[in-house]
Amino acid sequence: MATAELKFQSDGRRASQRRGPATLRLLEAERSEAIFPVLLGEIVALGHPRAMVLDVDFDSGEITPSAALKWPRHLIGKFATQIWSTDNPIAGVLNSGHPAAFPKTSLHNRPLYIHPIFYSNKALCWEAERMRSENCLAVQNARREKRIRLEEQTCSTCEMRAYASVIVVELGKNTTEAVLAELAHIIELANRCLSRLFKVEHYYNRMRDMEITIAQMGTVMQSMADPVILTDTQHRVIMQNRAAERFFKVPDEMTEGLIRAVELNNMLFSAALSSMLVLGNDAHRDLTLVDAIEGEEMLFEAVSGPTFGPDGMQIGTVTVMRDVTDLRRADQELWLNYDKLREAEEVVRQDRDRLNLIIENVGDPIVVCDSAARIVLLDPLAQELFGSSSDSPSDAILVKNQSDFTNYISSFTFSFAERETAPLRIYNPAIKQSIEYDARSGKIFDERGQVSYTVTVLRDLTALRKVEQLKVERRMLEIEKFAATGRLAATIAHEVNNPMEAIKNAIYLLAGSVPESATPVYNILKSETERVARIVRQMLGLYRNTEQVKPVSVNTIVEDTLLILTRQLQRANVELLTRLRPLPDAVIAADQIRQVLSNLIINAKDAMPNGGRLHIRTRHLHGKDELHGWVQIIIADTGTGISAEMTRAIFEPFVTTKGEKGTGLGLWIVKGIIQNHAGKLLIRSRMGKGTVFRIDLPVVKS
Amino acid sequence: MNDNPKSRIMVVDDEASVLITYRLILEQQGYIVGAFSKSSDAIRALEEEKYDLVLCDYSLEEQHTGFEVITAARKRDAAIPAALLTGYATRDTADEAGGQKIVIMFKPIEIEEFLETTAKMLRREDESNEKSGQKSSGSQSSV
Repeated sequence: MATAELKFQSDGRRASQRRGPATLRLLEAERSEAIFPVLLGEIVALGHPRAMVLDVDFDSGEITPSAALKWPRHLIGKFATQIWSTDNPIAGVLNSGHPAAFPKTSLHNRPLYIHPIFYSNKALCWEAERMRSENCLAVQNARREKRIRLEEQTCSTCEMRAYASVIVVELGKNTTEAVLAELAHIIELANRCLSRLFKVEHYYNRMRDMEITIAQMGTVMQSMADPVILTDTQHRVIMQNRAAERFFKVPDEMTEGLIRAVELNNMLFSAALSSMLVLGNDAHRDLTLVDAIEGEEMLFEAVSGPTFGPDGMQIGTVTVMRDVTDLRRADQELWLNYDKLREAEEVVRQDRDRLNLIIENVGDPIVVCDSAARIVLLDPLAQELFGSSSDSPSDAILVKNQSDFTNYISSFTFSFAERETAPLRIYNPAIKQSIEYDARSGKIFDERGQVSYTVTVLRDLTALRKVEQLKVERRMLEIEKFAATGRLAATIAHEVNNPMEAIKNAIYLLAGSVPESATPVYNILKSETERVARIVRQMLGLYRNTEQVKPVSVNTIVEDTLLILTRQLQRANVELLTRLRPLPDAVIAADQIRQVLSNLIINAKDAMPNGGRLHIRTRHLHGKDELHGWVQIIIADTGTGISAEMTRAIFEPFVTTKGEKGTGLGLWIVKGIIQNHAGKLLIRSRMGKGTVFRIDLPVVKS
Repeated sequence: MNDNPKSRIMVVDDEASVLITYRLILEQQGYIVGAFSKSSDAIRALEEEKYDLVLCDYSLEEQHTGFEVITAARKRDAAIPAALLTGYATRDTADEAGGQKIVIMFKPIEIEEFLETTAKMLRREDESNEKSGQKSSGSQSSV
């Protein structure tokens, strides 16, 4: 209520204003705050010495004087009290709800009439009427159906905060009941006027509040970046914010394109709205609109909800549209990336499958362990040895194998080596045999260079060793076979030798007594016999000795051979240059190597018909490991050389560069002998420059 | 070549045709040749006649060897030059021959080389007669 100020007026001025009955003067008051001054004036005009109004503050419980007439200022303050001060007559009257007259009290040394007033009307207020509710505080207070309670002075229907005041009047001497009744009447009259004004002012205040709320809501709506549209039941736009105007309002600049865009947008929106209404509450759907200004297509997600009137009838629809262009673009990109990821995953999966296939077909057990040396992956062959990785094996053998393997792999994992090959003895349950595997391990590092996994391939070397054994045996067999061939050849040669010796000698003896006409025939006889002699000699050379293969110094063999051939070389004007370096002993058939050397030396001599130099060198070549190596013999001449075509065929039997003089068996035998010694025989030749033979014989450090 | 035409050479070979041709070739050179196909005949002949040179096949009739004949010849004349004619020789045979200063000639033998070696051996015998020191040449293996 609008009467917060104290109004203290002089009685003189108040008296001059009084004209006509009090009712009319009260009706003249247009505002609630004008009521109390009129009332106090009327009371004094009735002949009462003093009057005052006290207002009740429901929140603080304070009862404070708000207006007074003819009351000395210093006395007014004494009347202030609280609603719970029950021994105070003012608070007591207020709580009882009924006026009362008091003789001299502690408040005042004259009798007092104290009258409480409350917000009360005879008719229901508009709100209660509209709500069809009987619970109107004003009516309840007026009817006094129950005791008025100060704490209930808020209307349960319209939430109006009511007022309460107390009128205090000092009574003159000998005040009659009739005077008190008149006093009560005029106070009640003033209260009726006050209540009516108060009601009007209340609604006015509510309207003001609503206007403010509407303005605030409007600001909120306008400031929203998303288009918000309020439509009626016919889909006509009632209200829209600026963000929505961008799409739906015909712009000031009337270009045809813009108008068309807006029309299209409105059509699309209308259609979307209709479909959403069919879907029901909180429907939402995607909507593509054209930005009338930028001309861009934008994707929105529209959410619609119905708005209802006070009577519960739908009066329209609120639609909020969320710009999801970027969102959808991101979404699309996300899907695209997802697809890419899926594809990459597929490739990885295929690779993995392929790898698995390879692993499964390696034929060797493969074990993958993590950084803590725990087995994480086993191929089927490894599972035979260690059990499957998922369950801990119950078989004692598998447990032992696993612990043996773990011991090995943990020492490797924590070593500095990146890879390692070590023998590892593991019992293979499948063949019921303990096998020495060749464990080859490697490390897989993570980004920080820490070991993340180790991979171990267990190679069963039994088969390999068997093959090696077989190879040695076969070589021995080959040598044996060669020796046997030699023996056979020698036997045949020996048998042929003597008759041939006789033939040869006989031909020699006939030399002088052949008639002229028979000379060509005689020459054929002579040369062919010599050829047979050479072949026989060659074949006899294959086998001269039944010696054993044993460690021999190749240098000694070279020296022995040269000792025999030196004279021949000197006679052929061949300068011999030897450089024999210290050699380890080679396990060879000395006589066979001697034959190889004499063959090559004599070939060299024959290649130098006009003399030349013969280089013979030996040296020891160390192998990759400590154990194995080679003994190399080089025999190089400065002779005529051999053509490229010839070098290719030179080791074939019955191929010779010496024409009639050669048997074509020498180099074939040389090659056979070197091969039987698991050696290598190489030839390099240049026409007119000379020929180099290189022999590599394997040696093993004992 | 034919420095000493009257040198007496003993040839032993169990193959008759070989023996005859050796004899004819050596006779052609002017040597006096005693040819025998059996070791026993040869050894007996050594007792009856003096030879300057013994050329002997290694393997003779039955299990006899040329060594037996040469040994017999050396009993009478320790310095007599001797050669084994053979198709092949084992290491042991070669070593044994080397040790006894016996020349080995591998069949088939080039006739020129055969005659040259024969002449040389006879010459050496002359030298050794004078100096009483002899040297054996290396075996002539031509492969």
